Amino acid sequence: MSLLRKLADGLWSLFRKEQVSKELDEELDSFVEMATEEKIGDGMTRADAVRAVRLERGSLEVAKEVVYAAGWESVVEGIWRDIRFGVRSLFKSSGFSAVIALTLTLGIGANTAVFTLLNAVMLESLPVPNPTQLYRLGDNNNCCSMTGTQNDGSFVLYSHPLYEYLRDHTPEFEQLAAFESYLADLSVRGSRDSAPEPYKGEFVSGNYFQMFGIQSSAGRLLTPGDDSPTAPRMAVMSYRTWQQRFALDPSVVGSVLSIDGNAYTIAGVATPQFYGDTLRSDPPDFWLPLVGEPEQWRLQSANVEWLYLVGRLKAGIAPDSVQARLTVELQQWLGGHRDVIPQRDWDEIPRQHIRLTRAARGVDQMQTHYSLALRLLATLSALLLLIACANIANLLLARGLDNQSQTAVRLAVGGTRGRLICQLLTESVLLAAAGGVAGLYVAYAGTHALLLLAFRGAHYIPISARPSVPVLVFAMLLSLATGIVFGIAPAWMASRSNPADALRGAGRATGGRSLKVQKSLIVVQVALSIVLLVGAGLLTRSLRNLEDQQFGFVTDGRLIVSLINLEAAGYTEEKLPALYQRLEEALPQIPGVLSASLSTYSPLEGNNWSEYVSIQGRPPDSSGTAPSWLRVGPHYFQTIGTRLLQGRLIDERDRPGAPRVAVVNDAFARRFFPKENAIGHYFGMTDLGHSGDYEIVGIVEDAKYQDTHGPAYPTFFLPLLQVRPGEPLRGRVSAIELHVAGRPENLEPAVRKGIAEVDPNLTVLRMVSFDEQVARNFNQERLIARLAEVFGFLALILACLGLYGVTAYAVTRRTNEIGIRMALGADRRNILGLVLRSALVQLGIGLAIGIPVALASGLVLASQLYGVKSYDPSILTLAAVILTACALLAASVPARHATKVDPLIALRYE
Amino acid sequence: MANKSSDIVQGTLDMLILKTLALEPMHGYGITVRLEQITKGTFRVNAGSLFVALQRLQRAGLIRSEWKATENSRRAKYYILTPQGRKRLDSETREWGRQVAAITRILEAS
Repeated sequence: MSLLRKLADGLWSLFRKEQVSKELDEELDSFVEMATEEKIGDGMTRADAVRAVRLERGSLEVAKEVVYAAGWESVVEGIWRDIRFGVRSLFKSSGFSAVIALTLTLGIGANTAVFTLLNAVMLESLPVPNPTQLYRLGDNNNCCSMTGTQNDGSFVLYSHPLYEYLRDHTPEFEQLAAFESYLADLSVRGSRDSAPEPYKGEFVSGNYFQMFGIQSSAGRLLTPGDDSPTAPRMAVMSYRTWQQRFALDPSVVGSVLSIDGNAYTIAGVATPQFYGDTLRSDPPDFWLPLVGEPEQWRLQSANVEWLYLVGRLKAGIAPDSVQARLTVELQQWLGGHRDVIPQRDWDEIPRQHIRLTRAARGVDQMQTHYSLALRLLATLSALLLLIACANIANLLLARGLDNQSQTAVRLAVGGTRGRLICQLLTESVLLAAAGGVAGLYVAYAGTHALLLLAFRGAHYIPISARPSVPVLVFAMLLSLATGIVFGIAPAWMASRSNPADALRGAGRATGGRSLKVQKSLIVVQVALSIVLLVGAGLLTRSLRNLEDQQFGFVTDGRLIVSLINLEAAGYTEEKLPALYQRLEEALPQIPGVLSASLSTYSPLEGNNWSEYVSIQGRPPDSSGTAPSWLRVGPHYFQTIGTRLLQGRLIDERDRPGAPRVAVVNDAFARRFFPKENAIGHYFGMTDLGHSGDYEIVGIVEDAKYQDTHGPAYPTFFLPLLQVRPGEPLRGRVSAIELHVAGRPENLEPAVRKGIAEVDPNLTVLRMVSFDEQVARNFNQERLIARLAEVFGFLALILACLGLYGVTAYAVTRRTNEIGIRMALGADRRNILGLVLRSALVQLGIGLAIGIPVALASGLVLASQLYGVKSYDPSILTLAAVILTACALLAASVPARHATKVDPLIALRYE
Repeated sequence: MANKSSDIVQGTLDMLILKTLALEPMHGYGITVRLEQITKGTFRVNAGSLFVALQRLQRAGLIRSEWKATENSRRAKYYILTPQGRKRLDSETREWGRQVAAITRILEAS
């Protein structure tokens, strides 16, 4: 109550200052008047009485000030006065302020941009009610499909029967939902006549939306009833898809779309923010019930583990007890399903368990993938800001010295040091706030650029560049902290100046303490800059090594087309060969296309199939990783530019009836036939019974298909047409490679048309140049390298500006001394040396500190580097040379000025 | 006029003002005169301290103020003790009594 009243009174006096002041005046006047009258009554003259009252009661003006100062609002007023004074003095030196504010804008903007990304990826929860109740069953991101026991016994992928068992036996969950660990590429068309278009889809259990607790924007969401074999097929559309592809047309709800050739009714649209269970680029456009999954046999199979589980715990339930219970249930279930685990892994069964992990942010996929990159970015941008702070502190120090006489006067007339520091800090914080506000724009643009760099090739990323509340708070606090960091040293130095010295002009002649501080700041800047430069050099070299490496194929003049599963277009095993033939004939007819080929997948598109093999005449061996494999058509190797080392390539003679053959890569040959020639040997997939399936007829050079950092995987290539009976059709051919003349992108429309002419039902998922496809593998590396380059460049400029400023300032202060030296016979070279020496000393100390730090931070980077050692001497030398050259250039300008000092004028200067 | 007036004992001005106002509502000048009269000129109140104290008491809700005419038909701000102020005065008076007794005992002990 009393606090409230104080607050209210204070606010009242702040906002009604006029009236309060008038009242106080009136009260004091009447006080004086009454006192005076009494004295006159005692027989004094009026003038004497007034003087006596003043003597007795003290100056009333002072009394008024004292009354004002007593309330808390006077502190606010003081700050307000400081702010007004600060703004005025900042405007007085507007050029100076603009340079500082610009530096800060870049520094704070860069940091805020990185924070925006960091916040979205690492901190923000899923846009669903009460996300903290969500828990995931499992603690890693093993993908896709597994059998038997799981990594280190920690279950993360579940078979459908196991999911149902856990769902029905764990009442602690309000809902326990299942969904596929990967998204499906869907071929969708609205009506019979329209061309099919590619979309992303996710197959989810019927209670998926109930588990997340979200509402529909239109229509209704999926319910458990929809996930039943007898129910009509229903799908839920994402709001973004509804908006962007269907113009928010309400009649979409209830309409029927053909999805992968099946008729689905659109039940409704999810909430606008909802992007599914995982933060990722290109999130699902459609959610479909699990029962619609193309490989339906998996729903009944206890063998195949392919589902992620996320559940919503009932309020007040401790996750620990649920975790223990889930493991007991898992053990019980495995006990009843021994056949699920291969016999050799039976002793692993007691170790199988379930870890319950927080899923407020959904499945931590991007978090895991980008956490190192984001931490690196945060470090780089923090370094940049520190350098900027050092630079600004230096500028302010220099100006503080120029304002010394003003400061001295203020101290002399009784300003306290505290008030002075407050006032100067207010100025710094004002500058930082201006930089922070402008920095928000930079951050917005910067976040956009970061997203484009980080997710090159994505159509949509569910991360907003618009500053959210946490981002605004971050920018505000950062500005405040920045203002204090760069302002505290200059303010403190200024407050320590001795008024008497300053007024005498003594500060001018000597170097003084503040120059020492300035020089130390330069040393810090140089040290930080060399760290940034070396880091930028290492990351850039590493990226270039990655991009320019020998991939084992040629990317120039190649266009890669990805198709969506052909059975959606109505193809069966019998019809496929005809389609291949038509494509292989029609595509080379397009003007500009030199050759065309088909394959299961293309290099570095993100796809990799692997299978254990058995070599004829050898015992079974499942050690090491399983070799990769794919099917390719004739001319495949010529089209992508992979060279033949030995034997022959797959060509037209490898037809269904012909002897079954395989081409292997060098790594395969070296691994399985280290001492003999692989050609002529037989091998087969999986068990020994098949070991006579394929004869090796050729060896091609190693080409990287999946991992860009490590060596190529052992790989074998099979002819497109020589399929095993019953081999699944799904995904067998999803890539068309084209060798073209000229820019691959220019041929896109013609190729699209050519494919549509072969069959209008084929859905093109994407069409990119081979260069672009490969480049997308290095998004993260490129993001970090580009940012390190930009930051390194800025740091270099700032360091040079700082050195220039301090040197120039030192020269001005030493004009007198230089004049005397020249008068005593020093020539220009001596003077040049004198000035440059000091700059070189700062540079030298900075390098001496910075290089070991750069080496140490190189160790942190080591895991990120490709083909370059963290202590690469050439990069270290280059960075040091660049920094030294720029610094000398910056220092030589004022140094040359110094040599032009006229001794006569210099001596008169004092 | 007593020349040997001294400043009021630190921290007691609030209590003294409350006591003065306990008798009747009073304006600022009246309070100083009253204090000086009662103490026979021992204490003199500085205008600055007085008005700061009045503002402080008012914000604490111990007194309130209103503009009224004086006996000389001049406008002045009168301060009035609130029930809270009266309670505070009682407790402070008791506390003061205890302290004075204690200090006196210390001073009188040889």
